[in-house]
Amino acid sequence: MENANGLEAAASVTPTPKRRPPSRLVRVEQRTAWLLLSPTFVILAVIALYPFAQVVYSSFTNAKFASSTETRFVGLDNYRALFAFTIKELPPRLDEDGEPVLRDGQVQYESWVSVLPRQPQRFRQVFQFSLLGKRYVLGAVSAEFIRAVWDTVVFTVVAVFFETVLGMIIALTLAGNFPGRGLMRAAMLVPWAVITVVSARIWEWMLQPTRAGLFNTVGSYLGLSEGRTDFFGNPTLQLPSMIMMDVWKTTPFMALLLLAGLATIPSDIYEAAKVDGAGPLRRFFRITVPLLRPTLAVALIFRTLDSLRVFDIFQVVLGNQRYSMASFAQDMLVSRRDLGMSSAASMVIFVIIFVFALIYIRMLRVDTR
Amino acid sequence: MRRRVKPARVVGQVFFWLLVAVIFVYLMFPFYWAIVSALKTQAELIRTPATLWPDQPVLTNFRSVLSNDRFVRAMGVSTLVASSVTLLSLVVGAFAGYALGKMRFKGKAPSLYVILAMTMFPQIAVLAGLYAVIRVLGMPAIPSMILSYMLFTLPFTVWVLTAFFRGLPDSLLQAAQVDGATLFQAFRHVLLPLTAPALVTTGLLAFIQAWNEYLFALTFTIIDPPSRTVPVAIALFTGEVARQEPFGEIMAAAVIVTVPLVVLVLLFQQRIVAGLTAGAVKG
Amino acid sequence: MKRSLYALLVLLLGSAAFAQTTITVAAGAVGQELELTRAAAQRYMEQNPGVTVNVLETPDLSDNRLSVYLQLFEARSPEVDVFQIDVIWPGDLAEHFVDLYEYGAREVADEHFPAIIENNTVDGRLVGIPWFTDAGLLYYRTDLLEKYGYDGPPTTWEELTEMAQTIQDGERAAGNPDFWGYVWQGNSYEGLTCDALEWVASFGGGSIISPEGVITINNPAAIDAVELAASWVGTISPNGVTSFGEEEARNMWQAGNAAFMRNWPYAYSLGNAADSAIAGNFDVSPLPAGPGGSPAATLGGWQLAVSRYSANPEVAADVALFMASYEEQKIRAVEGSLNPTIMALYEDAEVLEAVPFFGSLYDVFINAVARPSTVSAPDYAAVSRAFYTAVHSVLTGTETAADAMAIAEADIQDITGLETGAPTAD
Repeated sequence: MENANGLEAAASVTPTPKRRPPSRLVRVEQRTAWLLLSPTFVILAVIALYPFAQVVYSSFTNAKFASSTETRFVGLDNYRALFAFTIKELPPRLDEDGEPVLRDGQVQYESWVSVLPRQPQRFRQVFQFSLLGKRYVLGAVSAEFIRAVWDTVVFTVVAVFFETVLGMIIALTLAGNFPGRGLMRAAMLVPWAVITVVSARIWEWMLQPTRAGLFNTVGSYLGLSEGRTDFFGNPTLQLPSMIMMDVWKTTPFMALLLLAGLATIPSDIYEAAKVDGAGPLRRFFRITVPLLRPTLAVALIFRTLDSLRVFDIFQVVLGNQRYSMASFAQDMLVSRRDLGMSSAASMVIFVIIFVFALIYIRMLRVDTR
Repeated sequence: MRRRVKPARVVGQVFFWLLVAVIFVYLMFPFYWAIVSALKTQAELIRTPATLWPDQPVLTNFRSVLSNDRFVRAMGVSTLVASSVTLLSLVVGAFAGYALGKMRFKGKAPSLYVILAMTMFPQIAVLAGLYAVIRVLGMPAIPSMILSYMLFTLPFTVWVLTAFFRGLPDSLLQAAQVDGATLFQAFRHVLLPLTAPALVTTGLLAFIQAWNEYLFALTFTIIDPPSRTVPVAIALFTGEVARQEPFGEIMAAAVIVTVPLVVLVLLFQQRIVAGLTAGAVKG
Repeated sequence: MKRSLYALLVLLLGSAAFAQTTITVAAGAVGQELELTRAAAQRYMEQNPGVTVNVLETPDLSDNRLSVYLQLFEARSPEVDVFQIDVIWPGDLAEHFVDLYEYGAREVADEHFPAIIENNTVDGRLVGIPWFTDAGLLYYRTDLLEKYGYDGPPTTWEELTEMAQTIQDGERAAGNPDFWGYVWQGNSYEGLTCDALEWVASFGGGSIISPEGVITINNPAAIDAVELAASWVGTISPNGVTSFGEEEARNMWQAGNAAFMRNWPYAYSLGNAADSAIAGNFDVSPLPAGPGGSPAATLGGWQLAVSRYSANPEVAADVALFMASYEEQKIRAVEGSLNPTIMALYEDAEVLEAVPFFGSLYDVFINAVARPSTVSAPDYAAVSRAFYTAVHSVLTGTETAADAMAIAEADIQDITGLETGAPTAD
């Protein structure tokens, strides 16, 4: 801990300078800063400028991917198609005598097809809900996209929460010195190091709907299930299964960053707190959390960004059953070849991610000055 | 056990080791399943109920993966691509992170936001545009992968390093300046050694991100098979006949790729940290 | 990087010096199939010393292969000359391919199954020459049929349902709790379109969109067919069948945990592999028929198409036609059990000796139903999705079959703008 001591020592000997140096120095610093930043911006400009501009431009057109059909400017049509929604009441299904049809004592309702408008654009069901004894259906032109946005946000919030909690527990546990620490750090890297596409396949194999899969086999041995749980086909289990996969895969990312953050906290601060009689919980919330905040903020921001762009695992495991925002954009592009809609969806994803990033930066008071 | 140990301490120790064990099992069980699946015969792989350890472990899957020249080559390509991406991101990112974390200048906040915004589009959205850029530049597959992976590794390294640089007290830098060091010298001899753990961690995370990338690699190497990376090579694993999926081989490949990666990375980590810290000026 | 630049230079100089034409064929990456393609390229080069034929492997998953191709088309890349394309792509991708009729395909076209040629013909242009084909088959366990006293495979879906239930009850009672009667492809993907098209067509419910361009999916026979399939889920088929693809079904079948399976011909040789639990104990037959219908199998398979962006379309077309010729298809049939698209090969003595079960496949192929990909081009992917999503919602119990077919009809109408009508009996 020589560095930390050195750091403390340096801090104690240097007087805090109040007078700003002359403006020439400020100018030099300004110029140096931009010089240091320039490689980053040059690289990003080369690789990002044209593709980004293309996404923005295409989102206002009806461009088809890999097609010579003429491209027309359509203004905000793509965005309107992504967001247009309507709410309609569903009438009960009536039999020949005009009485509502009952099944198991439940009133049956007409199909949404008969209720939702078809002109000028087709509306499809997102979900149904009951209010004041009446049944309603929420319809949207891009029902799949609305569902994808909702699913992705839920997926992200829940997954990132668990990743943070588990990552913190793992980082705190492994921060100390104990025999076998090297082995544990190796183990910690494994999930992150397994190729994403392959890790999705491992989980898919473990979660098979028959007893050829680990979960169903163990579940049936323990008497928890009949060994036929359909983790990816049953809609209520789909998102929890995906979250379970993602948490396993990316917790190490969190844990590693937090571990590095912990390493920069000088140990004498803890010693001092111990002498003052602060308990471990108090030390955690009074010292660890505040000092870790910048690291935690960056880790949270990047994990959330990645999670909102989740693609591989949805594509591999759920295919066309259920989409994440990015797998929706991919599907729009490849199977429908609708470059315009796909780009508009990507723009929406961009905005949603930006909003999340802003919220984090504000809430965690990330210093951007 | 001659010394008397306080019971609370014993409970604490037991709890600690229990926690370590739980964490270990949680982190490793899917990988364990990959190993077990790779060791099973095709018949045992699909048997119900699944066996927790192969009846007769076989090495056929490992053998066929290792005798696949294209796979072995892909490991080399992946190592080259991921290391270059990491090195480049760290150098470029450390410059930017230093400027953003430690210097005063106009336009800092917008710079941070612009850099972060680079990672906000889904990969699929920029793929076609990026492919067009690469074709215009006439770049071969390997450099084009290295360059395009910066799209997600660079913003990450810049942000993490900015946070770490900012965490270091200004006083240290000023002390160095008082000693007559230039900004660069201060950077090299004071800040870099102090941020070594952060650099290595960031590099590690970036390396693996680049190592795992699939979509760009698949597209850029379509017409250049020798430049294919590991994820693409694994995606191109096939059975003897169409539609058959060689699951055992995929699992064997996963194990072959992951184990050396983890071991190497750990060895390197300590070396690099030691190396970078060595240059530090002593307080 | 330096080396690859150097290699490029050598290549450029070399091609200028010897006027060597290079043709690149994007084909499947599958082990044996790839070897056969490489061997064919080798034979072509021996006969045509001025031409170099490269074989590029592309991902085996149809969707992944399509996305790779689309990137090349978007870039108008001349780097790939010949593409291996799925039977459902000719309509959607027609604009990127040359008309093979202009390059000498006219003489050979009628040797192939007419349904495939019709499928590959877009506005009178032949955009792909059939290379090998595929169709849905019913796999059944001969040992179990015998054990439970049946003389042969079921010919109607009703029989299949009853037999599957009997065998399943018996095998479960005999101590295998993981046994099921019938496995198939029920996941929400293109494979479900194939399976469901077979049910609907075999009930006399048409083929979603008729070849004349009328949307026929919303009819009583189609509704009955889908309803029957939904009744299998959780009774003779596992609940998880709604997330099954080809491999999930085959894995269960090959582990000996199913009495019947719907799958493509590829499962035949794998089922007879040395370590298979069911080797020698199964056979294939045409899929059963519905009431008043006749058996139907969905047509699959691959074509070779020549890129419009190729620098040498004549040579490329020659390579494609060579690879799809009688002699070459015969080699692929004998050595790789790949189903030829040339009808005469199903009577070829050498082929039948190498792969005896091909003889019985002829009827399946000649009666195979094509998916409505060409008539709905360029929107087939969207049409198929509307159909399989609707069927999947019935299988999982979220919609009734009648509602789902009405939804599919409306969706397909919105996508294609075609008229709706009743299927014509043929």
